Amino acid sequence: MAHIEINSNLCKSCYLCINACPFGLIKKSAETGKTGEYTVEFYDKEKKCTACASCAMSCPDIAITGVFK
Amino acid sequence: MQTYAKPKSIKENSSFTFCSGCDHGLAIKLVAQVIDELNIQRDTIAVSSSGCSVFLYDFLDVDCVEAPHGRACAVATGVKRAHRAKGNNKIVFTYQGDGDFASIGLGESIHSALRGENITAICINNTNYGMTGGQLGPTTPMGQITATSPLGRNKEYHGFPIQTVQHIAICEGTCFCARVALYDIKNIYNAKKQIKKAFEYQQKGLGFSFVEILSSCPTNWKLSPIDSHKKIEEELTKIYPLGVYKDIDHE
Repeated sequence: MAHIEINSNLCKSCYLCINACPFGLIKKSAETGKTGEYTVEFYDKEKKCTACASCAMSCPDIAITGVFK
Repeated sequence: MQTYAKPKSIKENSSFTFCSGCDHGLAIKLVAQVIDELNIQRDTIAVSSSGCSVFLYDFLDVDCVEAPHGRACAVATGVKRAHRAKGNNKIVFTYQGDGDFASIGLGESIHSALRGENITAICINNTNYGMTGGQLGPTTPMGQITATSPLGRNKEYHGFPIQTVQHIAICEGTCFCARVALYDIKNIYNAKKQIKKAFEYQQKGLGFSFVEILSSCPTNWKLSPIDSHKKIEEELTKIYPLGVYKDIDHE
């Protein structure tokens, strides 16, 4: 099953990954990160993720550390 | 199966010191991916500059020289020539901001291009001096409000911005120069392609290769990271058109 790994310690809450995902599978999480802002989480109930890595490529802080197919 | 992993040329346990949403991180990641793909990590020497790009040696796991105040291209020239004299073919690249490349170091940059120095220069253009608090820089477009132009840039007082890529393109020693942006996924992949090309041209020994990257500066533009990317797409690419300006393989 395709999924991504997010390192919340590196996330700076820029939310560029939310914009980048073609299926809208990334959303703001309820937890706050180092910057005091909400970090992001991967939410794929319908298994739509194709492991295209658009989110990981557009993350400026390499907080999305792996994409798996 | 893993389709994406952190580049090997990025140091383990390093985290970028840039502001949230800054395109510097993206640019360094693309450079690291290109170094990985060309398998030149052991043969690459980076030259970092002053500005936000100063901490490059903290992130990239390659040999690095620090060249403050615009002298990156001059130091890279020395590094390249000293290694060539000893018979080592090292890949030398500079990583500079627009204030470093096009303002304080414009002489070094232009003359490296004119000499056809076999190095690669990467210039991050975020239209201001980001690290020192967003002052007016050489690439600030007309009308942009910065810390030192509170009424916006005007031609009577500040003059006109510089088109870096076009100036480098008319230098005869330049083999490749392009301007790219990072505001969406298509442009990110295109930027990676052009950076890779610039490194490959250096490997072939064709001359000076240059890539200017239009980058966002959310903190000093006082916009959110997503709005900053919109500004690049809608405003900056009109003033600084994207594309390949010189490619001697296609002439």
